[in-house]
Formats: sequence, C-alpha cells, structure tokens
Amino acid sequence: MGSVVELNLARVEGHGSVKVYRQGSRVERVELCLADSPRLFEALLVGKSYLEVPEIICRICSLCSTVHKVTALLAVENAFGVEVSWATALTRELIMQGGMIQDHALHLYCLLLPDLLGVPGVTGLAQKAPELLKTGLGIKRVGNMIQETVGGRLIHPVNIRLGGLGQRVSKKELLRLRHELESVLPACRDAYRLFRTPFPFPELPSPNALAVDPGGDGRSAAIRCRMGGGESFAVSGYREAIKESVLPHSNAKYSKVMEKEATVGALARLSLGVRLSAQAQGVFDEVKHEILGRDIRGNTLAQAIELCDAAERAIELIDRLLEKGQGSPDDVGPVLRAGRGSAACEAPRGLLIHSYDFDSDGICTEADVVTPTALNQGAMARDLLALARGMEGEETKKMTTALERLIRCYDPCISCAVHVLKL
Amino acid sequence: MNRPRLAIAGLTACSGCQLTLLNCEEELAEVAARFDLVSFPMAESVEGGAPFDAAIVEGAVSTPGDLANLFRLRNSSRLLVALGTCAIFGGVAAMNNGVSTREELVAAVYGDGEKTVESFAPAPLTNFVSVDFSITGCPPEKQEVMALLCALLNGTLPPLATYPVCTECRSRENLCLLLERKELCLGPIIQGGCNARCPATGIVCEGCRGPVREANVAQELELLLERGFGRKEIERRMSRFKPEWDYGQRR
Repeated sequence: MGSVVELNLARVEGHGSVKVYRQGSRVERVELCLADSPRLFEALLVGKSYLEVPEIICRICSLCSTVHKVTALLAVENAFGVEVSWATALTRELIMQGGMIQDHALHLYCLLLPDLLGVPGVTGLAQKAPELLKTGLGIKRVGNMIQETVGGRLIHPVNIRLGGLGQRVSKKELLRLRHELESVLPACRDAYRLFRTPFPFPELPSPNALAVDPGGDGRSAAIRCRMGGGESFAVSGYREAIKESVLPHSNAKYSKVMEKEATVGALARLSLGVRLSAQAQGVFDEVKHEILGRDIRGNTLAQAIELCDAAERAIELIDRLLEKGQGSPDDVGPVLRAGRGSAACEAPRGLLIHSYDFDSDGICTEADVVTPTALNQGAMARDLLALARGMEGEETKKMTTALERLIRCYDPCISCAVHVLKL
Repeated sequence: MNRPRLAIAGLTACSGCQLTLLNCEEELAEVAARFDLVSFPMAESVEGGAPFDAAIVEGAVSTPGDLANLFRLRNSSRLLVALGTCAIFGGVAAMNNGVSTREELVAAVYGDGEKTVESFAPAPLTNFVSVDFSITGCPPEKQEVMALLCALLNGTLPPLATYPVCTECRSRENLCLLLERKELCLGPIIQGGCNARCPATGIVCEGCRGPVREANVAQELELLLERGFGRKEIERRMSRFKPEWDYGQRR
C-alpha cells in the first residue's frame, strides 16, 4: 500500500518540507517543497527607478541581504556603464567577506552543530556545549560587526550605494575591525576540526560544481561562470545557459544549467579551485581529499575552510584600504540609457545572478534574480531521492532525520529561492 | 525560576526580524536560559506546543497557511507581538497592493496559468487578530528586541517611542538631507528609535519604520512637491513599506 511521509524543515532559513512517497518500503519519489509565501519581487520591481531597485531587492532575504545589495548595484552599474573607484570596490568586497563570515558561522554553529551533538537547537547547545556556541557566536559577531560598520546597518545595509559609498569607513573603524578579526582568526582556522566528520549516509551522486570564474582583475564583478566539466558561459548570456521550469509542488523554480543539475556553494567553489588565503590554503591542503570529488556532505567542511579564508581576506582588504588611503568619496551619477545590466557574485550559498532591464528614464521594465538555492534545488531533489532509496527498509524516523540533515548540508535559503523569474 | 514560554514564527517575510534576535550574539545564551523557546523553527527543530506566554510574529499575511498559523498562535498565546514592518504595515511585499492585483503579479513571476499559488495581497497582522505590542523596523533594532524580552521577564511591555526619525537625526547633528541637500528624505513622518542610522551615513530615510504617530503627511508631501519631486515618485517611495497613506493627514 502506498504511503507518504512528510517532513517539515527546521533550522533552515525559510519554510520548506519534504514528502517521501512509498509503496511498502520502496521509495517511489521524493518531493522537495520550498514553501515560503511568494513575495513576487521580480514583479514588484517593474516600474521602480534604478535607484530604488537595490534598496528593494535586498529585502528578498535577510541572511544574504548584503550580497543581494552588492549584486544589484553591480547589475545596475553594468546597465549604465558606471565604474566605481577601487576603494569602493574593495569596501564592497570587505562587506561581502563580513557577510560570508556571519552566514557561515550562523549555519555551522547554530543550525548544523545541533545535528552533530544530537540536540534540537540553540537552547540545547547553550546547555550541552556552551563554549562551542560561544566560539561560534564570537565569530559571527565579528562578521556582523563588519557588515554593520561598513553597511551602516546590519541587515539590509544602506551605506553601499550606486556609484560609491555614503561614507568612507574611517581609519579608526578599520583598525577596530582588523583587531576583532585577528582575535577570531585562530578559531576560524580551527573550525574545520569540528565539521570534518560527514554524516554517515550511503554515498550520494557526485555534484556538478558551478561557480563564478575567479579570473579577471580581482574586482567582485565576474565576467564568466564555469562548471566542473570544463563548460563555461558569460554572465551576460546566463539566460541561455540556465533553463528554469515551474514545479507544481514548490514555489521556487527548478533550474538546469547547461542541461545539468548544478551544485553551487562552498563545495563547488573549492572543487573549482578558487584561490584561498594562506592559512585557509594550508587547511585545505590537509583535508582536500575529504572535499574534492566528494558528495554534498563535503560542503560543511568546505564552509569551515571558507570561514578562515573570509577572515583572512577581510584582514588583507583592510590592510589594502589602510595602506593606500581611500581618496575622496566617489559619487558617480549614471548617464541613463535604455538597456540591460547583469551581474554575478558568489553569495555564501553560491552563485547569485541579478539582471535588470531599464528604459531611457531609468525605470525598471524587467527584473530577474537567480538565487543559489533555486540553482541547487534540482541537485537537492536528486540527492534526497538517492538517500531515501539508499535507506529503504530503515526506520522512518531514521530516514527523515537523515533527509533533514542532507538538506542542511546544502544550507538552503528558502526566502531567496521563492521569487524566481520569468524567462 | 519560571521561564516564560515563547513562540517565534515567520509568515511572509525575509526572516530578518528573527535573524535580528539571532544576531544578539552576546545575549543569545542568556535568552535561551531565561526563556523557554518552545516554538522557534528557525533555530530549534523540536516543537514544544501550546500554550505560550508570548508569540512573536514576523511577516505579513499573504496565504491561507500564514493565516492558519497566525490564528493558531493568537489562540494559544497570552500576548501576541508583531515583529517588524511587514507584520505591522505589510512591508515590501505589500508595496504594490494599491497598483496591481495579486493574480497579475503571480502571472508575471511564474508565467500565465503555469501555477496556481494560493496567495492574496499581503496584509498586516491587525487585519486579522488583535496585537498586544509592535516592534517596527526593516529590520528592527536589536535593542528594541532585547527591551521587549526584558519587559516580558518583568511581566510588562516596553514604552512606545512616539517621535520621528528627525528627532534623533538632529540630536546627532547630521546634515539635513531634506532641507540642505534637497533629497527625498522621509525622516519627518517616520517613527524614530533607529538613531537615524541612514541619514547618519548620508543616505536618506527610506521610511522602513513606518509612520510616526501624528505624522504631518500633507506637510511632507507639500515640501517634497516644492522641491520638485513628482507626485508619482513620492507616492512610490512612501509606499515601499506601507502601501496606504492618508496624504491629507495633518495631525
């Protein structure tokens, strides 16, 4: 007789569930439902001015608001041919590293660590492992301090804006951030030890990594994206490379990239050989056999390495800003023209693309946002089915626990995913 | 000690208000010790169930599921707190409520007839249930969330701020973006309490905290029209976080 097991996801950003359809003990299919109430951002942006677009779209998600804001700014600047100063570019890079630190620390220490220690959540951590929780929150705090100092506000930052910054970050503040970063760097470096043991699942399909191509002048605006098999495509041509379809059971769209189910995020970045800072590279060299060629469970370890990388990079960026001085604030007003602008960035959870069309008055006529979680949705569904099948015959509770943990390895951000575009 | 039982939930929103609580890194362990976080799906995977001493709710109501969740929380909690601008005014998801229908927006995002999404125009919690206290902001300020939790521990609620953004902005001696730079700043009509974050970095107040009590909306409108902004642009900016305003209000 057929049965359906439904599992509501907790300790992830947003609302989602997984349904497993079974005949006896045999798993027929698995549905992943990303169920956040749709907020329909792409439609809301139409009719708004180019200045409003980045301020509105960052509200798509709180965890990733910084990278959404930066990506939107880059896309608008791309549409109007605006070039920002190197100090602005470095400052944006710095706030994005802050976002990376906060986001990875939150996911690893607050959302995922309970699985490793067998407690239900933050309260259990506070009782069972107060020191670990304190370490994690200490790292997270520094990430947030960067975002708040540079962005003027912690969530939905305001100080980074079109063509420049509201205010330069003062030398005193940069030195304070540097000091705080130094204080958590050892903990960031050692984080990998805690997140090294993968969940004991049956082997899962190997991922098709997708990330922005790190080539170029080191600015955050990427030109191309590339995949593990050697394929690549231009950011401006992403609509041809990424095909999306609507699913009846999910409010996020299902994407295939160059005909494949892509995996984006920390594992994909490290698999594609992104350049790491010195200490992070040292850790990576030690554990790379646990990451390269591994399934999505390697993502957790990869995030821990990126935590170290982000802290080191933030320090380097601060040093560069201190060393060269920042010059006077640039305030580049765009020359409005009709056209399209697109930009891709690496968000903590992976590749993020924004694209906007404007008319000659700078009013948005079409908006399109491709989020990491929407890109990962196909691979997540594929892995859920593989895991459920691999665990046929096991107790239901054991299987649902494993499925929930698998989802957490992907670190999904469901508010982001549920507003995907019209193609 | 008797730990107050809390439910913390999100409806149609970005999770930023709940994240604001998780961003109180230095206080979080103490919050977990002093409160029983009975239901907090974003941070706890076990649901403790009703009753609650307080339910803290983020987000607007835009689906039958949101509504069912809201009624459940209201029915099982002594106090219900609206957390953040979406819960109080509808927020960004509601900005087009006055200009386009839900069906049009759904079709624009998912394609015509591609998908039936059970969704209606995002609305504030007070359209459906009584709300005992509100914390505004997109996102809310950490100290306001902490002030609420401290008050709850003492069996009370925090005082309400009733002054506009300009009050704190002037006391910080920021350059007035509205009068001196002639920018479209909404400070005079927006609820303070954020310590004028945005104007302090040279960015106009975008109105994320919603109207201050007794806002002189008509005067702000006249001032902006005099500065040469178009009525359409002004209304678009004002409706970013709250879709409906009484543009004639002069209280």
